[in-house]
Amino acid sequence: MSSFGPSSFMLSEYLEKLPGATFRKLYQQPSTAFAIFRRMLPHLAKVYVQALLYSPTPFTTNDLELWTRPEGKASSSRAISILRSLHIVQMTQSTRTKKGQDIQLTANFKKSLRLALEGGGSHNSFGVPSTLPVDPKIDIQYLDHWAGRIWQDILYYVVNSVPMKADETGGRRGGGRGPRTAVKELLKMGGLVREGEGGFVQISEHGFNFLLQEANAQVWTLLLLWLEAADRNKAAAREQGADITGSPIDNVEMLSFLFMLASLELGRAYDTSALTETRRNMLPALSDFGLIYIDSRNPQQYFPTRLATTLTSSSALRSVSASIDAAIKKTPGDAGSLGSTTSGGGDNAPPADENGGIVVETNYRIYAYTSSPLQIAILKLFCRLHMRFPNMVTARLTRESVREAIKEGITANQIIEYLAAHAHPQMVRAAAAKGTSVLPPTVVDQIRLWQLESQRMQKTPGFQFKDFESVEEYRQLAEYAAEIGVLVWKDDRKGTFFVSKVEQIREFLKARKKGN
Amino acid sequence: MPRAIRGVLIECEPAIKSILIHIDSTQLNNDAIIEDLDETHLMVKEAMVKTLQARLDDKLKETYRVEQPLDDSDDDKGM
Repeated sequence: MSSFGPSSFMLSEYLEKLPGATFRKLYQQPSTAFAIFRRMLPHLAKVYVQALLYSPTPFTTNDLELWTRPEGKASSSRAISILRSLHIVQMTQSTRTKKGQDIQLTANFKKSLRLALEGGGSHNSFGVPSTLPVDPKIDIQYLDHWAGRIWQDILYYVVNSVPMKADETGGRRGGGRGPRTAVKELLKMGGLVREGEGGFVQISEHGFNFLLQEANAQVWTLLLLWLEAADRNKAAAREQGADITGSPIDNVEMLSFLFMLASLELGRAYDTSALTETRRNMLPALSDFGLIYIDSRNPQQYFPTRLATTLTSSSALRSVSASIDAAIKKTPGDAGSLGSTTSGGGDNAPPADENGGIVVETNYRIYAYTSSPLQIAILKLFCRLHMRFPNMVTARLTRESVREAIKEGITANQIIEYLAAHAHPQMVRAAAAKGTSVLPPTVVDQIRLWQLESQRMQKTPGFQFKDFESVEEYRQLAEYAAEIGVLVWKDDRKGTFFVSKVEQIREFLKARKKGN
Repeated sequence: MPRAIRGVLIECEPAIKSILIHIDSTQLNNDAIIEDLDETHLMVKEAMVKTLQARLDDKLKETYRVEQPLDDSDDDKGM
């Protein structure tokens, strides 16, 4: 698709670029090894890891091949390739058989994952609960509400930078003061918004993408931006002689702290004094993101919020608003059902039913039961707004509006997924009863067609391989590339092919050279 | 050892491809396209993709017009 994106927006891409030494350090923490195992691996890869975990001797690749049927060979190779790129397994030339390689878990990962599963050790890797008394008002609901507000402020900030008429935004902000300056800087640095003329911030195409991601991916995007910016920030802060003092923030420490946060328990207080200095320095920033809550009167404690504890779960929040909604619905005075908007844009008017009030008709009309400026602004990214009522807006998908969105880097799938995920419960029920898809198929198809129309070229960045020494060399390499799923195009006659990723091909080439 | 060349693979219809080649030779000094791979594929320098895309859009605007979709009367006047 058209996601050229700045260097790394996905966790997996970020991790793949880290050097092996970093992984070795990361895997010293049981919580990290466990989080990677939980979140980053496909099922087959997990099966392999579990088998290898307690095996006293390395397996050979031939052994593993016996586990999958011939037709599953591709997914097996892909699983192994993922394990290798994350430095979970290492392959060595087998000592017992001539053909095939020995495969075993890397030492640190093995040790840490065992520790994580069995418990024991004094690594404190899963956090140290605070023994101090906890303020009874800080419960799960309170944390959800707080984190939701912070996160929505961030989203509002991104969304409000969409050029809009003054009367649309005027006075209807969701009651926040906007995110902290540091977060704003980060969003600018990450290219999610950019400074336009007159000091106004404008949303960029990556910002559009960001908005339409699911909550979990959004959090990671921001965190990865933060990790990448950490070095630059540090240098800048040092020049100004302020803010960050003490030990340099080291990426490994930061990452493993994030993975640790993900393993903590929601609604529980943890002890800040058990943290290393680097990690303590991270706390204010994490609190700006809404990942942890620190009570100002009780700075020895920190509370992970739902944003933090779901970092590595695969069943991610469908959207932030889903969890926020849950919190909001419980607040008194808000029936929480359809159309019950907390009247007329009061200062902290929470959206009545933010998650799921969109009706899509077969004639491309959209009725969104919402008063949330955030949702309206998002709809405005790809629909033409038509009328606005206190609790509802009407809009319409048009060729122009969708093309406009696609030009900004939003994909048809993102639009479709957004509409489906936020569909009105009535639509969901009707679709379930009839066994059809939630959105009208004509609309879905048309959105895709509009995308095709404006995407005349399909772009894939990567590497072209050519000038092979022999046909055999070409054939082997092309086959390997196909197996690990990076082959994009090949021409057998000319003896050249194109891959989207190059690292493992390089390794394969090296290994092959040694083998000969 | 084979050679690995960094770039962007572009897949498009043959008609679009020939426009791209034309743009490359007339406007961009043959600086964008690395290799013409086959009927539907081109290798392009990463830095030039955006320029190429923009020039293509310009070109298509001149030549390519899509029918306006049917509008129904009561809509599309607002906002």
